[in-house]
Amino acid sequence: MNYHFLLAAVAALLVSTCADDEYEAARLLVSKQILNKYLVENMDIVVKYTVYNIGNAAALEVEITDNSFHPDNFAHVSGELNARIDRVPPYTNVSHVVVVRPRKFGYFNFTAAEVLYRHKEDAPRLQVAVSSEPGEGLVVSFRDYDKKFSSHVIDWAAFAVMTLPSLAIPFALWYSSKRKYEKLSKNSKKH
Amino acid sequence: MSGKSKAFTKEEELLLQDFSRNVSTKSSALFYGNAFIVSAIPIWLFWRIHLIDLYSSLISFVLVTVASTYLVALAYKNTKFVLKHKIAVKREDAVTREMTRKLAEDKKMSKKEKDERILWKKNEVADYEATTFAIFYNNAVFLALVILSSFYILKTFTPAVNYILSVGTASALLALLSTGSQ
Repeated sequence: MNYHFLLAAVAALLVSTCADDEYEAARLLVSKQILNKYLVENMDIVVKYTVYNIGNAAALEVEITDNSFHPDNFAHVSGELNARIDRVPPYTNVSHVVVVRPRKFGYFNFTAAEVLYRHKEDAPRLQVAVSSEPGEGLVVSFRDYDKKFSSHVIDWAAFAVMTLPSLAIPFALWYSSKRKYEKLSKNSKKH
Repeated sequence: MSGKSKAFTKEEELLLQDFSRNVSTKSSALFYGNAFIVSAIPIWLFWRIHLIDLYSSLISFVLVTVASTYLVALAYKNTKFVLKHKIAVKREDAVTREMTRKLAEDKKMSKKEKDERILWKKNEVADYEATTFAIFYNNAVFLALVILSSFYILKTFTPAVNYILSVGTASALLALLSTGSQ
């Protein structure tokens, strides 16, 4: 009895899959990527959302909402955290970029964004999709980043300016006296 | 002529022997002032480049700078003492000629007084050149040692330890090197 029931269920699934293939609708796959190599406190993080429509109809009123960047942890720099794309044609993709700046350093779990869309024009309700999750990332402190990567040109220039008087003044005084007396001694030898 | 010049040298040697390691107050102030500046400059490097925490390292800044000022000033004094003798011998002829030319017009002055003036001038020139060169040389060596040790040898240490060790070692090494007679 149970065996028959299972067979019936598999058959029903196959039928529905075949039916789905013929059924004209948009299907969105959404990826969320962090494009930075280093995540640094108070420095830009570029987040790219790519919406792929693998369905055979255009997706309409696509709305990408990302609530994972809480204002306490991130400052919003540019791009919309709540973006709306009117239409994503079939078999195409659309990308959207947001720039944020972390306010704190430490580990941060980057979670998924939510996407709402209408999978066909006359669909009665919106379809909900969830993007991929970039996962946990380490936001390093600006101090550590600066220590490792900054060339400190201005700091070295200031150091040179500070050390110059303590080296150049005594040298110039000594050298002028030396030249004066060496010249005198040469001149007198010539005579 | 040669006898006279020999006598001259003896007098000069006596004078040179009188030159003690003790320096005048003015010279001492110059040494300590310079030593303080050059000892304090590395703090900038540690603050801006090694990113040392300024407030928590305040005590070590003060202690290390004071110790380093003393040691660098000691190095100046020792270097000056060694150099002064060498420079006095080197500049002997030139200073004598300069002073003889200057004092030739003054016929009232006795020979002894002229000789004393020449000796005094020699002392002054040697003192001046030795002081300026000692400051320049020790400053250059000190800064080179600090940069070398803090950025290469002690690179892996924490900034606070790096600061104490590199500035401390540089000034101690400088003072030690200056005690050599050559």
